[in-house]
Amino acid sequence: MSEEAEKNKTSKIGKEDLGVYTCTSNTCMEVEILLEIGSIGAGHAATSLSEVLQQRVLIDVPKIHNIPVHQLPNFYHRHDAPTTAVYMQLVEESECDILLLFEAEEAKKIAAIMTMTPNPDEVEASMKQSALQELANILIGSYLSAISDFTGIRLIPAPPQWIEDAFDAIIDNFLIKQAMVSNQALVFDANFRTADGNANAVLMIFPSPHLQGLLIQKSMDLCGIPIKQDGPKLIHPENETFVVCEISKPK
Amino acid sequence: MLNSLPRVMLLRLWHSKQQSKTLRTQIGACTQTEEIPFITTTADTDPTVEEVRVDMAGMKVASMPVELVTSVGSCVAICIHDLTNKCGGLAHIMLPDSSVFPHELLPSKFADTAVPALAQKIRQINGKKAPLLAKIAGGANMFPNLRSDSLSVGEKNIESVKAALAAHKVKLLAEDIGGTFGRRISFNVVTGVVTIRRFKGEIKKL
Repeated sequence: MSEEAEKNKTSKIGKEDLGVYTCTSNTCMEVEILLEIGSIGAGHAATSLSEVLQQRVLIDVPKIHNIPVHQLPNFYHRHDAPTTAVYMQLVEESECDILLLFEAEEAKKIAAIMTMTPNPDEVEASMKQSALQELANILIGSYLSAISDFTGIRLIPAPPQWIEDAFDAIIDNFLIKQAMVSNQALVFDANFRTADGNANAVLMIFPSPHLQGLLIQKSMDLCGIPIKQDGPKLIHPENETFVVCEISKPK
Repeated sequence: MLNSLPRVMLLRLWHSKQQSKTLRTQIGACTQTEEIPFITTTADTDPTVEEVRVDMAGMKVASMPVELVTSVGSCVAICIHDLTNKCGGLAHIMLPDSSVFPHELLPSKFADTAVPALAQKIRQINGKKAPLLAKIAGGANMFPNLRSDSLSVGEKNIESVKAALAAHKVKLLAEDIGGTFGRRISFNVVTGVVTIRRFKGEIKKL
């Protein structure tokens, strides 16, 4: 294959796959619904974050992006940044992977606030781990219970797993899982800020196609929108998408 | 701000400004849609050599002194080097098998397609059929506590990469695989030295 032909090919991918999701006919409603559900969850998560940190937390209007899975590391552009993450998995009928990622420095500060230690460097490693797992439990728990209340779907999280590594290295495990079923990722962005910028975190959610379908269907039921006989249409019919909610300080 | 930067980084910033134009034109075989030419994060390697980031599922080939840099966890970085012609390339693969995805446009996403694609690009650059040498790194299992019935994605990736290298007669020289940690890989395409920095700071040269 000549180089020019290949260039055309790659530029084609770029045009189709990059950028903010644009509403087109069938899928607009489904995207709006997922965005709305994500916003409700994010709102509750912000409230619990505010309660844990004893600080005022502000929230920006959430956005949705549609990008290829393999471009997600570039989308966040954190690459080798030291990152502390907590991973939670939803079990039983609603399978889902949830990742809460903090910058390592921010994680230290948050752990210091939670353990009431004046100096962030003095927090013991085991205490830091425990505090962050607890925070993830509270944050993700409130996120899930809001969604569960709204849609009536049972969401059962497994105990959290803790990891400390480079940003890319942590997320690639999940991106591989995602890439096995879908080329595209639906990214949900919400910015949370606290007064002193201690809540710079990313919350990534990878729902299974089954869960995604359930969410859309139940919400449509609630809104009184008649569902077509062939069931709700997903954004990528045979594929998974995932939702990312970003919690960060203002730039 | 500038004064607080280490000397090495300042040097790199200056260097990147000087060379950015030539570098862009000379790096061939770019399958990435977006180019982020210079990342200056660490100083494990020669500070006078520029670093070029290779994306996830991306592939880059070069014949001038650059460090191709990428970060992997469960993914695998394949570095193929042509010693006689002093050039080489790096592919960052995500999945072991392309047969499940017949419509995929990126050959560098899969182990079995990335190896021949990378070898072909390197041969396009040097124009001759010189023996190729490979070094691989990555394939970690980031969450060892999670029980799983079969092999982890990292192990599957490594198996597939080794099979593909053997099938295309590229000799595997060295490897740094497995474990439960991420790796930052930088590959000097001219000398063929692969520098691996683990997250905790341990540095290994292949």
